[in-house]
Amino acid sequence: MFKLIYKELRLSAHPTLYIFMLLGSMVIIPSYPYGVVFLYGCLAPFITLFYGRENNDTFYTALLPVKKRDVVKGKCLLFVIAELGQLVISIPFAVLRSYILPEGNPVGMEANVAYYGFGLMIFSLFNYVFLTEFYKTAYQVGRAFLLAVFPVILGIVVMEMLPHIHAVSWLDSMNPDAMLRQMLILIMGIVLYVAGMIFTYHTAAKRFERVDL
Amino acid sequence: MNMLTVQGLTKQYPQFTLQDVSFSVAQGRIMGLIGKNGAGKSTTLKSLLHMVCPDKGSIQMSGRDFLTNEEACKQEIGVVLGGIDFYQYKKLADITAVTCRFYPNWDNAAYQKYMQMFELEPQKKVKQLSNGMRVKYLIALALSHNARLLILDEPTSGLDPVAREDLLELFQQLVKSGERSILFSTHITSDLDKCADDITYIKNGKILASAEKKAFIQLFQHLKKPGETGFLSLEEIMIRTERVSYDV
Repeated sequence: MFKLIYKELRLSAHPTLYIFMLLGSMVIIPSYPYGVVFLYGCLAPFITLFYGRENNDTFYTALLPVKKRDVVKGKCLLFVIAELGQLVISIPFAVLRSYILPEGNPVGMEANVAYYGFGLMIFSLFNYVFLTEFYKTAYQVGRAFLLAVFPVILGIVVMEMLPHIHAVSWLDSMNPDAMLRQMLILIMGIVLYVAGMIFTYHTAAKRFERVDL
Repeated sequence: MNMLTVQGLTKQYPQFTLQDVSFSVAQGRIMGLIGKNGAGKSTTLKSLLHMVCPDKGSIQMSGRDFLTNEEACKQEIGVVLGGIDFYQYKKLADITAVTCRFYPNWDNAAYQKYMQMFELEPQKKVKQLSNGMRVKYLIALALSHNARLLILDEPTSGLDPVAREDLLELFQQLVKSGERSILFSTHITSDLDKCADDITYIKNGKILASAEKKAFIQLFQHLKKPGETGFLSLEEIMIRTERVSYDV
């Protein structure tokens, strides 16, 4: 597994993957729709698969002494690193923001506990649609991204709209009690992300094993 | 002992079928896989590497079933897919640093030796290498993990005569010890006149013949025209077998 991660980071990852991970820091921008940060998180894997296709990355990996399905495993691991990396990088900025901008975010969701739960759910949705669609052919990366980006945008819109419903307005709060309630969203996000990634890997690998390179 | 045994390999596409392909590559031998463009050479090689999923057939490498021992079998092979270059903008040193981690028996001293022997500069990028040098780099990687079977898909296509001759000489040197074997697909049959021990001829997805080179040539002597003396070359055999006339 570590060999695959090393290979993905050293040869397959497009340099913008690391830049988009750093964009997790955008949660410190005042008056900004933080849901957009997740969209950047989805752009990085798209650019990396596009870059991989142009560099025959799939052929190189398939010729290494690994199983054919490990080609997919490598990409799943890279996506996890990029997405969780972005969220982890954003955490200190979200904390800092609560001190230097205590008045909150007037244009959208706060970067609170629920925000991270929604982020994991959105990434999970993206990974499933993008990877399972891409590995039907292992080359139609644009089509896979277009299909995957719509549920992502829908997810971001839902996340930004929910706090406007009075009954769940606590989702947008930075109040410690509300954030305790938001833990439920975070736990749901973690469960969905882990289970989703496993399911995505198995489905995409099964499809890729039938692909003729 | 056979390094590679392919039995009944079949793959059906909407407009092409690779049908019941069977042949074997013995240890210490160079097997040339010939056929015109689109005959099924690359499909055969990709099928036996699990890059294409065959509908039927079995592939044995060193006596082990390839599909159930994919990782172990791949440890013992080196592959050059003609026209497919990896990571054009990466340095050779970067590709090597990754590749070597996947082979427990990687021999760095051997790698350095082959890089020097082939005059390859590790700090060069793939795109800065000529086609011949790219093939040599992939061969250096294969030899550094002690690959016993080299699978080369059209490695000499697009090379100038000097580079081709150079590679053919190298292939012969590689099998000299009797430990390595080479399966080498090409439509440039003159390459095989020089270096192949055995020939497998594929036409429209079917094996026409697979035999030791001399025996193979004798199999096609019925194609000689009246008055012709001597044996037909591989090129003549292929041209006369594939010849079509157009009614225009």
